[in-house]
Amino acid sequence: MFEHKFRFRVFAALIGTVISVLALRLVWLQIVDSRAYSGESRSNALREVRALPARGVIYDRNGVLMVDNQLRYSVNITARYFDRERIPLLASLIGVPDSTVVERLDRARNWNSFRPSIAFTDLSLETVSRLEENRYQLPGVGYEISQRRRYLTEANAWHALGYVREITGRELDTMRQKGYRQGDLIGKAGLERTYEENLRGELGAEFKLVNKLGREFKSFRDGGADVDPVSGYDLHLTLDHRVQALAESLFVNKRGAAIALDPADGGIIALVSEPSVDPRLFSGSVPGSTWVAIQTAVEKPLFNRATMSGMPPGSTWKPFMSLVGLQKGIITANSRHQCRGRYVLGNRAFRDFNDTVHGSIDVADAIMHSCNSFFFDLMMKMDVDDFKYWATEFGFGQKLPVDIGEQQPGLIPDSSYYNRTYPGGWTAGYTINLGIGQGNMTVTPIQLARYAAAIANDGWLHPPHMVDRIVHPETGEEAEIQRDPSKRVPIDPRHFQTVREGMRRVVDFTSGRGAKLGGVTSGGKTGTAQAPGDAQDHSLFIMFAPVDDPKIAIAVLVENGGFGGTQAAPIAGLIAEQYLNGELSDWSKQRVNYVMTLESETQED
Amino acid sequence: MRVWYRNLDVTIIAAWLALVVVGLIAIYSTTHGPKAEFLLDSVRQNYDRQLLWVGISAVAATIVLLLPVRFYQNVAFPAYVLCLLLLIAALLFGAEINGAKSWLRFGGIGIQVSELAKVGTVLAVAQLLASRRAQKSPIRYGFLTVVLIMIPASIIIAQNDTGTALVFIALIPIMLFWSGFPFSTVVLIVSPAVAGYLALVYQPAAYVFAIIVAGGLLFQTRERYVAVLALLVTAGTAAITSLVLPRVLSSYQIDRITSFTNPEAEEFRYTVGFHLVQSKAAIGSGGLTGKGFMQGTQTQGDYIPEQSTDFVFSVIGEEFGFIGAMVVLAIFAYLLIRLAAAGVQMKHPFGVMAATGVAGIILVHLFVNVGMATGILPVIGIPLPFLSYGGSALLANTIMIAIVLNLYMRRDDLSIYGY
Repeated sequence: MFEHKFRFRVFAALIGTVISVLALRLVWLQIVDSRAYSGESRSNALREVRALPARGVIYDRNGVLMVDNQLRYSVNITARYFDRERIPLLASLIGVPDSTVVERLDRARNWNSFRPSIAFTDLSLETVSRLEENRYQLPGVGYEISQRRRYLTEANAWHALGYVREITGRELDTMRQKGYRQGDLIGKAGLERTYEENLRGELGAEFKLVNKLGREFKSFRDGGADVDPVSGYDLHLTLDHRVQALAESLFVNKRGAAIALDPADGGIIALVSEPSVDPRLFSGSVPGSTWVAIQTAVEKPLFNRATMSGMPPGSTWKPFMSLVGLQKGIITANSRHQCRGRYVLGNRAFRDFNDTVHGSIDVADAIMHSCNSFFFDLMMKMDVDDFKYWATEFGFGQKLPVDIGEQQPGLIPDSSYYNRTYPGGWTAGYTINLGIGQGNMTVTPIQLARYAAAIANDGWLHPPHMVDRIVHPETGEEAEIQRDPSKRVPIDPRHFQTVREGMRRVVDFTSGRGAKLGGVTSGGKTGTAQAPGDAQDHSLFIMFAPVDDPKIAIAVLVENGGFGGTQAAPIAGLIAEQYLNGELSDWSKQRVNYVMTLESETQED
Repeated sequence: MRVWYRNLDVTIIAAWLALVVVGLIAIYSTTHGPKAEFLLDSVRQNYDRQLLWVGISAVAATIVLLLPVRFYQNVAFPAYVLCLLLLIAALLFGAEINGAKSWLRFGGIGIQVSELAKVGTVLAVAQLLASRRAQKSPIRYGFLTVVLIMIPASIIIAQNDTGTALVFIALIPIMLFWSGFPFSTVVLIVSPAVAGYLALVYQPAAYVFAIIVAGGLLFQTRERYVAVLALLVTAGTAAITSLVLPRVLSSYQIDRITSFTNPEAEEFRYTVGFHLVQSKAAIGSGGLTGKGFMQGTQTQGDYIPEQSTDFVFSVIGEEFGFIGAMVVLAIFAYLLIRLAAAGVQMKHPFGVMAATGVAGIILVHLFVNVGMATGILPVIGIPLPFLSYGGSALLANTIMIAIVLNLYMRRDDLSIYGY
């Protein structure tokens, strides 16, 4: 029996050893190293599904919905679980060639083969339903619902609104911390970019448990860890979509820009830069060829002429000269200048338009007749550094505190500019052209519009802006908008009154008659900016209306449109009428048709 | 008054019942948990079928308990032969399931005959060793034992079910040792198998092992020929294994064995190593208390293949944690010790050998299965007794326990002369 007991002990020891080895192994796995394995188990079984917030929508100044969101269906692939033999099936269900699926699959794998990566976007509900029916055959394939921008009005306002586009790989590198993922949309230009953080809202997250085929089978902790998304803020614009749409239509066959401001606060009523792009093109995924075509078009549709196009202001500069001359006491409202149709400086003669002799005129008449010699004389009596000082006071030669897109500062010369540019020395002959808005200076349409607004409101320069309020759709809470303070040009309001009178006469009697409105008096000034080379001059017009209590200030540029009164003035007039009256008279509607027949001279590049 | 069931060890029955219930719970979790909606109906019925098999096994065990002890001694060899015939029948006409041709269909029920063959083989070996005459050479009995076990094992290998065959082979040293063979003989018989495995994983280790075994035996027996024999056998096996096996075994089998040493390696992680990585992740992430019944993310996410059969332990480890897993191990420990102790107390060679064989089979299953699930052994597809889904194994294991219970209960009926 000793023998049996010994062997029992050996056998019991064997059992004990086996159980101990297994138990120690369990201690290691489940107690000591448990955390590592929890991570491992989560990394494959727990999936964070981002719950995208609704992107904020955009309203115009009258509360009309301009841009909202439409559901779009995307298909994602988790490369690790996708069965390559199913490539033809997936391709046929989506309706693309096999090679496309292969390419998307490779892209998904390169990003992260264990996480779903968006492979196809903008699919119809029908396609997604077909996929859903076949999903049991398509391991690793899932779909997501996201949004695309939908444009509801006739207004494009592409340069102002900007657009959203799928985030690029390079942007992802820097934006990933903010929760962006491949396939996400991001504001790329204009308001969509400036207010991206407000519009986007806060990402939510749902935690799902997925099985090995990548299918969700249960929510993690019964949804206890989920975070609801918070909708983005809505933008309420100062833009009037009908004015905008009309302004855009007036630029048919033309290149140029138009900006309409509310003189009371700088709110942008319309901002047009033509040619433009249909924003609907960008609401889905943009084919590469389309994108290249847009980028390389000679008309430069992406170029925001309203803020970027610099040119000499031409005669639209004369109100400025008048104001400075009056304020500095060089002239008075009643002082008279003898116009001989030319201004002789040394052995050079600076001519009036068509050598017209205006005779003895005061400043208001000088504006009305756009008398060059009056302003040559004025410029001769002014120091170029003073000129620069006052131009800067009016916001020229600098970027404006505006909330849309890129800008050019423009150029206002001073004596040091001339010293640098003409090291051999310069005389008054070099600067005299500044008096009539020609020569070595450039301004942008938006600067001109603010200048027109300042003339209209006795010198107040408000920060031009398009976003009036940023409001949360659910809570009604308003986000704060950082806006530069308004400032005033230190010129006596009496002088503005004088200049406005001159500008009223321009519209009533002379070159600005094309802008005349039925029933309302308005003030304006035409301008003709010399274009480089032999090209037709640029047509300019600034305007405000009504004269007594201005509600709108406008600057219009028609590239190579010739004399300012022919093309730019009627556009400005129609914009003002649409805004002030809310509609166009029958007569004005015919004017629209006429304006649409006018063309920019074709540019040969 | 003496009743026939006075000596019935109810604690063994309780342990059996406890294991069966835990197994049912784990299977229920895999068939009725959140993952159920993705399962085929036939898989969803696994729980119900297992429940049915528990009933069948209980009935079978009751019948086994009612038969006299002599019956088992008499029936041992005929049962063994019947098992061999069934194995051959399965090999010839059987259905192939999971690559193994070890299934026979009786009506609507599939029986994995290799599981039932364990019962016949244990009884036959017990009967053989019980009839050993002291004057006859122990080597002859040792040889006969190896033959008795290797015949069914070979057929099962031919059926392509290496895992089950391994259990038979592992029975050899246990039975031999218990039946009174010298320790050195047992080592001599076992060491080639170990050397063979080492040769597959890391060749030098196999030869170092061979030298250690030879040295150890020389030290213990002081007989040079034993040492030389041991060296020849172990090193020879290692050499043959490393040369021949890669040509004989299919590549997936080699992968399985080698992947075990490094399942995380890129080339294995999602192929054969997948089982290991996922099973370890499941058990490890269970932590101390587990994720809760039907809450296991890996289990419900279907990450672990064969989770209701061979990897059922990962379900327990994940959903019931360290505590749950340890409870299962403790029940097994109790059951095994009780079986072994019962064997000793029977004092009759047949009873001792039967009890040892049964305990040995369960021990090997436990070690290989849990070792595999926790990643200390290669993936060898054998079930965890009483817990894994599978009717044949449950029936066979239950019958074996019932036989031991019966022999122990009626131990006084056994001849005091041993044969």
